[in-house]
Amino acid sequence: MKGYILRRLGYSVISLFLLSVTIFLFVRVTGDPAVLLVEPGASKDDLEMIRQQFGLDQPLPVQYGSFITSLLRGDFGQSFYYRTPVLELYLSRLPHSLLLAGAAMVFSLVVGIPTGIIAAVRVNRWWDSVGKIFALLGLSMPSFWVGLLMILFFSVYLGWLPSSGSGTLLHLVMPAIALGWVFAAAHMRLTRSSMLEVLGSEYVKLARLKGLPEALVISKHAFKNALIPVLTLAGINLVIMVNVAVVVETVFAWPGVGRLLYEGIAFRDFPVVQATVLLGGAMIVIVNLLVDILYAVIDPRIRY
Amino acid sequence: MTWGLHVTLASRWLDPAETEALITPFMVLYAIHDALVKPMPAGPNTPSLAESWSVSKDGLTYEFVLRKLATFHNGDPVSADDVKFSFDRYKGAAAKLLKDKVREVQVVDARRVRFHLKEPWPDFMTFYGTSASGAAWIVPRKYVEKVGDDGFKKAPVGAGPYRVVSFTPGVELVMEAFDGYWRKTPSVKRLVFRSIPEEATRAAALKNGEVDIVYLLSGPIAEDVRRTPSLQLVPSQPPAVFWLEFLDQWDPKSPWHDRRVRLAASLAIDRQAVNQAETLGFSRPTGSIIPRAFEYALPFDPPPYDPRRAKQLLVEAGYPNGFDAGDFYPFPPYTSMGEAVAGYLQALGIRTRIQTMERATFLTAWREKKFRGLVMGITGAAGNAATRLEAYVTNGGIYAYGVVPEVEDLFQRQGREHDRARREALLHQIQKILHERVMHAPIYELAFIWGVGPRVEESGADLIRGHAYSAPYEDLRLRKQ
Repeated sequence: MKGYILRRLGYSVISLFLLSVTIFLFVRVTGDPAVLLVEPGASKDDLEMIRQQFGLDQPLPVQYGSFITSLLRGDFGQSFYYRTPVLELYLSRLPHSLLLAGAAMVFSLVVGIPTGIIAAVRVNRWWDSVGKIFALLGLSMPSFWVGLLMILFFSVYLGWLPSSGSGTLLHLVMPAIALGWVFAAAHMRLTRSSMLEVLGSEYVKLARLKGLPEALVISKHAFKNALIPVLTLAGINLVIMVNVAVVVETVFAWPGVGRLLYEGIAFRDFPVVQATVLLGGAMIVIVNLLVDILYAVIDPRIRY
Repeated sequence: MTWGLHVTLASRWLDPAETEALITPFMVLYAIHDALVKPMPAGPNTPSLAESWSVSKDGLTYEFVLRKLATFHNGDPVSADDVKFSFDRYKGAAAKLLKDKVREVQVVDARRVRFHLKEPWPDFMTFYGTSASGAAWIVPRKYVEKVGDDGFKKAPVGAGPYRVVSFTPGVELVMEAFDGYWRKTPSVKRLVFRSIPEEATRAAALKNGEVDIVYLLSGPIAEDVRRTPSLQLVPSQPPAVFWLEFLDQWDPKSPWHDRRVRLAASLAIDRQAVNQAETLGFSRPTGSIIPRAFEYALPFDPPPYDPRRAKQLLVEAGYPNGFDAGDFYPFPPYTSMGEAVAGYLQALGIRTRIQTMERATFLTAWREKKFRGLVMGITGAAGNAATRLEAYVTNGGIYAYGVVPEVEDLFQRQGREHDRARREALLHQIQKILHERVMHAPIYELAFIWGVGPRVEESGADLIRGHAYSAPYEDLRLRKQ
């Protein structure tokens, strides 16, 4: 067991190292950040000065060495655009991302699970068709488009909700729905298929034969078992939501990590892109590591 | 008064020492800080924290006398020592140039400071006293030394009309009026800058009354704002000019080497139609790559839209059936405008292939001279006619693909000329040569379109010539409710 955990830990470290090399090189082939920080037509001296300030005049191995040694000290560097420590920026944005992801997750579960159950219980009837249409729309409508439509309707036309920004619960409503919509559709589909599988199982048939009311069969016997894969997916989706809310956060000017990443990419702010990608990657690696360990704890036969 | 900004609020804009060669930081500087001399409604080098400035006859010494009443937000008076300190710590745009040229900054007394140059430099005030640099913007020495550079960016203290109440990097900057501002007490008590990068969301926030002014509207969204009765569209006129650059004109084998072909291309573009489609007619078609607002500019009328004459010129040049002109690189993100211009060239028989690319890649490739064919360029860099010309038509120009020896000679001479009138004559001569040779096809001076809400009485648009944003903030007014 100990060897297994150490091996998985080793794989995680290697993954993060490879991610650091990849992101370090990839951001650097996309262009020169200095040219984006001045007007076109700025002098050579100004461009050179910016490159010197950022250390971009150094050879790539030297830049990587400096990046990785700072990283080992917990220093993600200074943002080119903001000129403040990247970690400070990231940590100031993370609570907003977690709040948005949490609210979007609640929305996606509250909408996705009941519609999935109803679709499974009323399979191949009109409720199921409604559910399928909902899932199709959710999975195919881009979140920025959903977001803009909501802004037009709820902010401009009805005047009920603020169009952008953060600070109150009202600010959270539209971004959470825009982000949660696609996940609600995914959760609906999974709940439906999981419920259908469980509803066809022997113990559910037995429960029905025992004469239990249908509501009790569904809520007590079928639902609890059908929920396991949905919650597993929801856990992974929560991490994904924190890291993929780029478009929604930009449309709603929501100050999260996604918007920070978007700005980092737009301005070739290498330290910001490196930090957000690495920390996002670290979240996924850690979650996977914990899942691997949990599997091994639950099922001793698992030793990859 | 609340703004919906098109840009992300950066911490570095709160510290004048880090002002890069961009106009954007001045949006914040004009509120929080103040300069010895800066562009104001009265002119480009208007005394501000300095009540006066003078230059010695030999052009080697510039003396500034500070105002008695000017104080920082923490109550400290603005002193000559702060001026020297601010210059010494300055590391933004043109820092190397200024420090190479300035031999010494001498604190004569508490209210008097002298800049001694190594040699006469006619552009000293262009770089020191305009938005070409942030070197003249003054910070309080004692406070900066106490809190450090990072601390200053978190809680800046300036001598401007507004003091910072709170700042969330990238999100929001809240300021309140500083009653002790020397020029006047601002009429609007609270300013809020909010970053709203998505244009449609900015427009929605304006229509919803969440913000009073939004920057950078275009196309259908601007049209929608124009149709909304309570809102108005306001153009400001930054010193940004679009033009078509004939990169291959230096190659004798290229059709672009022939002036008639370049003139034909220029006459084939319907500038007003492009202006109407792209900026709702707010931009100003032009015949020069130098903005009219620049010192030493020689304005030229935009070439007329004359496709018949254009065709005739092309026939005379030996291309009755047109020619394949290769790639056409529009400045990102102005692809639709590039397509419109390429369409006019196509109608004339000049066939191009539009190549779109991401901005950083585009600028790097242009600067490294990897492009062939045509570039549709734009720049809004601050300065004067000489600084604008330097980048595009001289030996030292980072975007110059070739140089006319006569232009280079005139450019070198104007750089040594201390007499303003003679220097102006030399710079005008350069612009005449460029115009006569049709080295570029200037298109228009870009209008930067704002949306303004019903509460705003004075938005500050174009009060300062060539400034893209609201300013001076102390002159803004809200309507009385």
